[in-house]
Amino acid sequence: MKRTVWILLAIGIMVTACRGGKDRAAEAAERKVNIYIWTNYLPQDVIADFEKRTGIKATVDTYDSNETLLAKMQSGVADYDIIVPSDYTLKVMVPQGLVVELDRARLTGIDNLDPRFLNQKYDPGNRHSIPYLWGTTGIGYDKKKIKEPVDTWRVMFEQRYAGRILMLDDVRDAFGVALRLMGKSINETDPAVLRQAADMLKKQKALVKTYDSSDFANLLAAGDVDIAQGYSGEIAEVVAHAPNRLAYVVPKEGGTLWIDNLAVPKTARHLDAAYEFLQYVMQPEIAARIVNGVHYAGANKAAWERIDPKIRANAAIYPPPDVLARCELIEDLGPTTQLLDELWTEVKAQ
Amino acid sequence: MSDSGPESDLRIGSPWPRRLLVSHGVLVYLFLYLPIAVLVVFSFNAARQTAVWTGFTLDWYRRLLRDGVLLGAVRNSLEVAAVTTVVATVLGTLAAFALGTLGRSPAGFRGQRATQALLMLPVVIPEIVLGAALVTFFGVSHLRLSLATVIIAHVVFSISYVAIVVRARLAGLDPALEEAARDLGAGAFDTFRRVTLPLLLPGVVASALLVFTLSIDDYVITSFVAGVGATTLPLHIYSMLKVGVTPEVNAVSTLLLAVTVVLIVAAQRLLQEDRRTT
Repeated sequence: MKRTVWILLAIGIMVTACRGGKDRAAEAAERKVNIYIWTNYLPQDVIADFEKRTGIKATVDTYDSNETLLAKMQSGVADYDIIVPSDYTLKVMVPQGLVVELDRARLTGIDNLDPRFLNQKYDPGNRHSIPYLWGTTGIGYDKKKIKEPVDTWRVMFEQRYAGRILMLDDVRDAFGVALRLMGKSINETDPAVLRQAADMLKKQKALVKTYDSSDFANLLAAGDVDIAQGYSGEIAEVVAHAPNRLAYVVPKEGGTLWIDNLAVPKTARHLDAAYEFLQYVMQPEIAARIVNGVHYAGANKAAWERIDPKIRANAAIYPPPDVLARCELIEDLGPTTQLLDELWTEVKAQ
Repeated sequence: MSDSGPESDLRIGSPWPRRLLVSHGVLVYLFLYLPIAVLVVFSFNAARQTAVWTGFTLDWYRRLLRDGVLLGAVRNSLEVAAVTTVVATVLGTLAAFALGTLGRSPAGFRGQRATQALLMLPVVIPEIVLGAALVTFFGVSHLRLSLATVIIAHVVFSISYVAIVVRARLAGLDPALEEAARDLGAGAFDTFRRVTLPLLLPGVVASALLVFTLSIDDYVITSFVAGVGATTLPLHIYSMLKVGVTPEVNAVSTLLLAVTVVLIVAAQRLLQEDRRTT
């Protein structure tokens, strides 16, 4: 057994030695790019087109949560050149030095991006990232079962829908609903206000069938619940398959907004190819193809005219500007996080 | 399966114990196989949502064969499982052999107990701890995450299973057989090759099958150590959950199930033939 350990170690050392041979400059110029991205975020034909136009070989791997991405990056041995962290995850990655500072001179096409998604608090001046796709948290519902027009979070507190409501199993999204209904920011830190919000959620709990953050769209589509809080992308997907039965709306009070951003990890080896990829996806024509392929809203303003009119008109994907203006990014609440977690535990344990 | 033993005992007296046992058995098998049956049935379902039956179709299988990303994940999984099975089975069998035969002398060898305990450890360590430990180890040794790191990780947790299964088989062997071979003039290597190994073979094959299945469906450890181009089927299916499970996942699972069943049946046939000829 000892010997097998030594053999494995020896193999490891040999592999490292062989790979360590190339010098960094040669690697940076290598025609390869390794992309680590959310599932269904980059259409197959766009990848093929990128490879054809640039001669760069692209390898795409997918992940399902920001936590997975973070764990991979913190290992220090992940071999990716492009990653797509969400707003709050980037806020964690930048101080830890996990992403490089981008070279502005090489970001040709950044002027195509929508200023509404640039220069956000999680990355002031976009020094480490550029916005890629974004979405909202809203309500998916069954039009056949819910007869009244749905435009407010208040429906999720109605006695007559008891046992047919789904809430996201996420402390910030759940409190976001209560806080918006109270006319407060989702990033409120006043303990008294948060306690009031918790009381609302505790009362609501009797009506809620389940708290679920991963399967909400399927539960809605299968008819297990009739009203579901959920993320726009997943709900839009099931709505597209049953447009006569299902719908998605961002309530008039506004909800949470999320932005996923392209960034280059510190460990990236193929820097030239990484920049070429960034330039490629910032082209309006390509950005439009991506939105048309994945059905998420894109952060490229110049692409707007080329996006499928049906997608542009879909309020689930592109909510009206006044509604979007009432949506907020989730911010790190510092020490208040602990109080919020305690209150959420109280709600869930009731 | 032989059922002559307990059955003949139960025939005496009232039929009730037997009926209870049979219904209990049926329930256990239902419990075990009903979810799998549902999975297979719904892989032929025309509807996109997996909960309602709307009609028969082969579309999901057609779509599956065109889905390059999914097929790539299947290829990765098969590659990892195949290499892991070979490496882990060889190393694990040798480890079991060392523990079993060297340890047979009254004193054992120095550090035998510790070696044995260390060999069992990966089976009891929570997967998530092993995954975190491996990724830290790769980080310290500057080994870039790739398909190779997935294989190394799978070998690490598989060796123990092989060693345990083969050791159990080894313990049931009559040492007199090896001694007889030695008496008749066979050297240590010949004895191993022509007497011990053939006798161990059912255990070795069983553990190889076990390793193959463990490797092909591992998610937790793989998710830690997978690198560029190393998305395996479980990782891919899990990430597909984000946009909802389509019957395509059922279809690929059904195919995988079919392959596994064929492999196991083939292995059992081989073993039976082997037993008949010897």
